[in-house]
Amino acid sequence: MSPCKQQIMASFNAYRDTLDAHYDQRERVIKCSRDITALSKKIVFALLRITQDTPEAVFKDAAAKHKQVLELFAKMAVELQGSNAMKYNRQATPGIQEYIEAVGLWRFLEHNQLITKSQVLEGLSHDVDGQLQPLVAVTDEDYLLGISDLPGEVNRYCINSIGKGDRDAVIRCLEFLRTLKEGVSLVLCTRKYRDLEKKVPVLNSSLEKIEKAFYSMSIRENEMQHFSAAPPAEALAMDVDSRTILT
Amino acid sequence: MDLQVFIDLQDKFDRETSLNESIRDAIKEFDRVCRLTSAKLGKAHSLTQEQGRETVESVKPRFAEIKQCIAALAALIKPETFYKYQDRWTNAMQTACALVAFSIYLGEARLATPEDVQQYLGFKVNTENTDISEFVITLEEYLHGIISLFNELSRLAVNSVIVKDIKRPQEIAAFASELYSGFQLLNLKNDSLRRRFDSIKYDIKRMEEVQFDISIRNLA
Repeated sequence: MSPCKQQIMASFNAYRDTLDAHYDQRERVIKCSRDITALSKKIVFALLRITQDTPEAVFKDAAAKHKQVLELFAKMAVELQGSNAMKYNRQATPGIQEYIEAVGLWRFLEHNQLITKSQVLEGLSHDVDGQLQPLVAVTDEDYLLGISDLPGEVNRYCINSIGKGDRDAVIRCLEFLRTLKEGVSLVLCTRKYRDLEKKVPVLNSSLEKIEKAFYSMSIRENEMQHFSAAPPAEALAMDVDSRTILT
Repeated sequence: MDLQVFIDLQDKFDRETSLNESIRDAIKEFDRVCRLTSAKLGKAHSLTQEQGRETVESVKPRFAEIKQCIAALAALIKPETFYKYQDRWTNAMQTACALVAFSIYLGEARLATPEDVQQYLGFKVNTENTDISEFVITLEEYLHGIISLFNELSRLAVNSVIVKDIKRPQEIAAFASELYSGFQLLNLKNDSLRRRFDSIKYDIKRMEEVQFDISIRNLA
């Protein structure tokens, strides 16, 4: 082998090692992100059972799963130190967004608030030499895309609540989605953001469904009042089926 | 529940807008100078080996300009956000690396090393998979640049025959073959690097065809 070729082979052996290390690291982030996504979805399902179970049981279940999710984040955090956080953000962000959706739903159900980015980071914090520090970084984009997925789950909660006759829940959902829609529109005024724009149709259709549900509930209430003298059976027979309105 | 969260985000994005514009302008300038340099260096295809070396000398001021463009761009980028914006300039950087590779081959008939690239472009090539604390040229950008060299080499082989330099294609093909062996050591994933790597074999084929044409006519 000529000295020139020897040098080339030596260099490229080293490049191969570097690229292998990079691809392996990327794979590890993808795996963690997938696991975080799966567990976050379980948290969402647990939270949506709030219309069947007691809130205490539901939040206890969610807290237990949340503890597990933090372990997954700790695992992923190893790969996301320093500049690597942005380097592998595209691989990490799906998990981060699903997590934000889960804790966002939790915050809405428990406190009727929109979770803020700093609250998300607080939830992701662990003790480092007596100080609380977030396990991973959360970009503004991660946060926005995470909360913009809330309408779907809030919609499910709302429909379940209608089935239970929980009028207040429907009102809360309505206001929440209206605020979310206004907020997202505000942000889209400032910058072109395709990923966020893609969420807008879902947001709009979720809002429409809830408004229709509220409409049918209101109509039924008016009818109930109107027919309060008549036997209940007649009033129910004229009931507008909530299911047909919502599909 | 109010909209303060979103208003704050709006403000933050507004402030980022001017940074984004500066970055965009810097990349535009970087791209422009690269294209100019590429045009000048491309003239070497119609020249002899010796004239090619002169062309390389005459292009050195252009490289100084490129170096300045990259420095201007790097000044805008904080290391923690490097990978956030890197996609925007990566094409221009790959071109810059390709220009260095071509220039060094024309001048010294050897492969441009990361150290060469650092000398010409002013920033280190990140050959390790480690955290970075400053603006770098990524290993992928360097490798993309080297892959571009294969295309120049196959053209050079063809054009050498046109300017009646019959010995040169043999040297070019031998060099290309060694370089290709190096590339084949890499484990690539299905990304742009892999796709461009796959195109190398067509350049190798063209060089072998030139070799064959020459030898079958007993010209060399």
